[in-house]
Amino acid sequence: MKSFRRLVYPYMVWAGIFIVIPMLLIVLYAFTREGNSTMTLNFTLDNFIRFFQDEIFIQVLIRSLILAVITTVICILIGYPCAYFIATLKPNSQGVMVLMITLPMWINMLVRTYAWRGILLETGLPEEIKVYIGMVYNFLPFMILQIYTSLSKMDKSLLIAAQDLGCDSRQVFTKVILPLSIPGVISGITLVFLPAVSSFFIPKLLGGGSYVLIGNLIENYFVTTGDWNFGSAISLIMTVVILISMYFTRKFDYDKEAR
Amino acid sequence: MKKLIEFRNIVKEFDGNIVLKGIDLDINENEFVTLLGPSGCGKTTLLRILGGFLDQDEGEVIFDGKEISKVPAYKRPINTVFQKYALFPHLNVYENVAFGLKIKKMSKDLIKPKVERMLQLVGLDGFENRDVTLLSGGQQQRVAIARALVNEPDVLLLDEPLAALDHKLRKEMQHELKRIQEEEGITFIFVTHDQEEALTMSDKIVVMRNGNIEQVGTPTEIYNEPVNEYVANFIGESNILDGVMKQDYLVSFDDKDYECVDFGFRNNERVDVVIRPEDIDIKPKGQGKLNGQVISVLFKGVHYEVVVETKKGASKTITLHVLKDRDVFNAEKNEKMHATDFTMDIEDVEEITDEEIIKRANAQAWDSETNEDISIANLEYNIEAKPGAYPVIFKTHNGTFITANVNVVEPKINKDMGSKIGIQAFDVYKSVDEIRESMAISFDLKTWADAYAWYLDSEDEVEIDDVRFDFDPNEIEEGDYPVTFLTMGREYKIHTTEQQEEGSIVSIDFGPRDIHVMSKMVQG
Repeated sequence: MKSFRRLVYPYMVWAGIFIVIPMLLIVLYAFTREGNSTMTLNFTLDNFIRFFQDEIFIQVLIRSLILAVITTVICILIGYPCAYFIATLKPNSQGVMVLMITLPMWINMLVRTYAWRGILLETGLPEEIKVYIGMVYNFLPFMILQIYTSLSKMDKSLLIAAQDLGCDSRQVFTKVILPLSIPGVISGITLVFLPAVSSFFIPKLLGGGSYVLIGNLIENYFVTTGDWNFGSAISLIMTVVILISMYFTRKFDYDKEAR
Repeated sequence: MKKLIEFRNIVKEFDGNIVLKGIDLDINENEFVTLLGPSGCGKTTLLRILGGFLDQDEGEVIFDGKEISKVPAYKRPINTVFQKYALFPHLNVYENVAFGLKIKKMSKDLIKPKVERMLQLVGLDGFENRDVTLLSGGQQQRVAIARALVNEPDVLLLDEPLAALDHKLRKEMQHELKRIQEEEGITFIFVTHDQEEALTMSDKIVVMRNGNIEQVGTPTEIYNEPVNEYVANFIGESNILDGVMKQDYLVSFDDKDYECVDFGFRNNERVDVVIRPEDIDIKPKGQGKLNGQVISVLFKGVHYEVVVETKKGASKTITLHVLKDRDVFNAEKNEKMHATDFTMDIEDVEEITDEEIIKRANAQAWDSETNEDISIANLEYNIEAKPGAYPVIFKTHNGTFITANVNVVEPKINKDMGSKIGIQAFDVYKSVDEIRESMAISFDLKTWADAYAWYLDSEDEVEIDDVRFDFDPNEIEEGDYPVTFLTMGREYKIHTTEQQEEGSIVSIDFGPRDIHVMSKMVQG
C-alpha cells in the first residue's frame, strides 16, 4: 500500500498550485486594500464593512440564498417521486430510466441554458420564473440520482418486515422507506444547493441583467469593475455561508457510513 | 388441544414450477411446529403464505375458524422472525422493538414496560440505546425475536432464524427459543433444514419434500418410525436395507429372516428396513446375528462410529496394458503418424468400420513442419471374431504408414454367488500419456474397461463403488498393471461407546424392536 502513496504526489502538486494558492490569494486580497506591492501590504477590514453596511449587498445575498433554497425544495419535490418510481421498476427498465436522466448532462450546461433562453424568450414569463426553470432543469438530475441510489440499495426485506409488524403501505413509506432514504436526500441537497447558491450564468442568461445574484456580483467586481479586493471579500463571505450550510446538512445526515 | 391453523389443499406455482402440491396441515394452539426439509421443498413458501406475503393459487388458509386468504399481511395476528433479521438500521434497539406497538398507536407509557420486559426475556436488558447495526449476529437475532414477540401475536413464524449463527450460539438459541415459547404460550412455526434443530425443539415435525408433506409426527415418532427411506435418511443416521416382508412380524433381508414388530404389509411385499446405528450392539464373533469385519472406526466425541462389513462386494480384476507412445516419422515426405493399440469387445467385431478403428486407435497423420493434418488414405486389417491380437496398418497417400494392434477380447465376468452380483470388465490398452493426462483416473478406468455390475436375479445395475490399483498415474511407465473393480458389500454403521479394533472380526446384534420396516417410496 505504501508504495501506491507516491501516486498521489502529482495531484498534491496540482491541488497546491491551482486550489490552495488561489484560495490564499483570495484571503489575502479580501483583507487588503488596493495598492499592494511586494514589500508592503495594506491590511484592512474595509471590504467586509462595506459589504455589510450596504443594504443592497445583503439583499443580493439573501436573494441568492432564497433562490438556492427554493430550487432545492422544488428539486426534492419533483425528484423524490421520480426516483421512487424508477426504483420500483424492473432492473432493466431502471437502467434505461437512469440513462434518460443522465443523457442531457452529456451536453454542456451553458449550451443547454442558451437553448432554454431561446425557448423562454417569447413566452413573456416573469424573469424570476425563467431563472427557476433553468435552475431546476440543470440541477434536478443530481437530486434524482442521489435519491434513486439510496432507494435502490435499500434491503427489500425491511419493507416486508414493516408490513409484518402492522404497517399498511402508507406507513411502510413514512416509517421505513422515507427515513432510510434521507441520506440520499441530504447528498442530493449538497449537490444542488451549493452550486445553486453560487450559480451566476443561469440567472444572467435567463433573467437578463436585472436579476442580480451573489455570483453575478462577484463576477462583476472581478471582470467589469476590476476591484479584486472587494470581489475576494464577497467570495469569502459566500464560502463561509456555504460552509455553515454544509455543517447543518451534515448534522441531519443519518447515514452511518458518512459519519 | 384447539386447532388454530388449517391449511386446506394449498397449491402454489412459480413460473410453471409447482412448489406446493396440495398441502393439508393442521396446527394446534401453543404448539412448536417445525417445517423440515431441504432447500426448495416448499417450506418457506408455506410460511410466507401464512404470513400473508404470498397468495396461494389454490386452497384455503383457515385461521381460528376463519378463511384469511384475503386479509393483508399487516392485519394478521402473526409476526415473523426473518432469516436475515431485517432490523431497521435507522432505529436503535429500543425503537426497533417498539416499532410494532408504535404503529398500533399504543401510548408511550404502555410501550416502555412491554419493550423492557421483552428485552429482558431475550437477555438484552441494558441494550436499549445500542445501534442495531453494531450488534453481533446472536444479539441481532434476539432483537428480531423481541421485535416480533412484543406484539403478542397468536403465531410466531421463524424462517431459518438460526442459520447465520455459529454452532455454539445456535445451540444456546435453540434452548432460548424453546423456553420463550413455553413461557409465552405462543404457537411457533419454525422453518429449518437442520434435522437436529427440529428434533431438539419441536412438539410436532412436518417433514416436507418436493412440495409434499412426507410425514407429520412428534420427534420420537419421526425418529423411531419414519414412514419411508426419505424421512429415515433426513432424520438421523440410518442403515437402510432392501428387504421382503414375508408375513406379519417376519422380515427377510440379506437372505436371512428376522423377527420384527411390524405388521400390516402384504405378504412378500418389498420393503425398506431401517436399523438405527445406536440400536446395534457389537458382540464377540459368533455371539450375535451377523459376523463381519470392522472396516473403520471414527471417534465422534460421545461415541465411536464403527462400520462393520458383513458381506464383501463382488470384484473383478483386469489387466491394464500401458504402452509407449511411438510416432512414425517419414523424413522424405515430412510426415508424422501416430496410433495406439486398443481393445475391442468380441461382439463389436462384426460391425466394425474404418472410421471407428481410426477413432479408437486415435490414429493421426500430420505434416511435421506445418503441423497440418493429413488424411489417412487407407487401412489394412483382417480382424476375426476370435480373441487375439490383429495388426492394423494405417497409410497416407504418400505411403507413410504405422501399425497398431487391435486386441479382440471377451469381457472378463465374475458371477459372485455370495453377494449375487455379476461384474464384468475388459482389459485396457492405453498409452503412457493418456494415463498421465487423466484427471480422474478411477472414473476413466471404469469407462475404458466398460466395467459394469448387476444383480444376478433382478438384472438391476449395481454401482461400482471402488477401483483399486497399485500405481501412481502421474509416474506410470510401460508395463502391465492389475486393476480391480469392486461393488460395495453390506456395511452396517454402528454407534457404540466401546472402541473397536479396525480389521477385527466381530458379531453384530439387534433385536426385533430395533428393526423398523417401511413401505418402499413411490417415485416422484
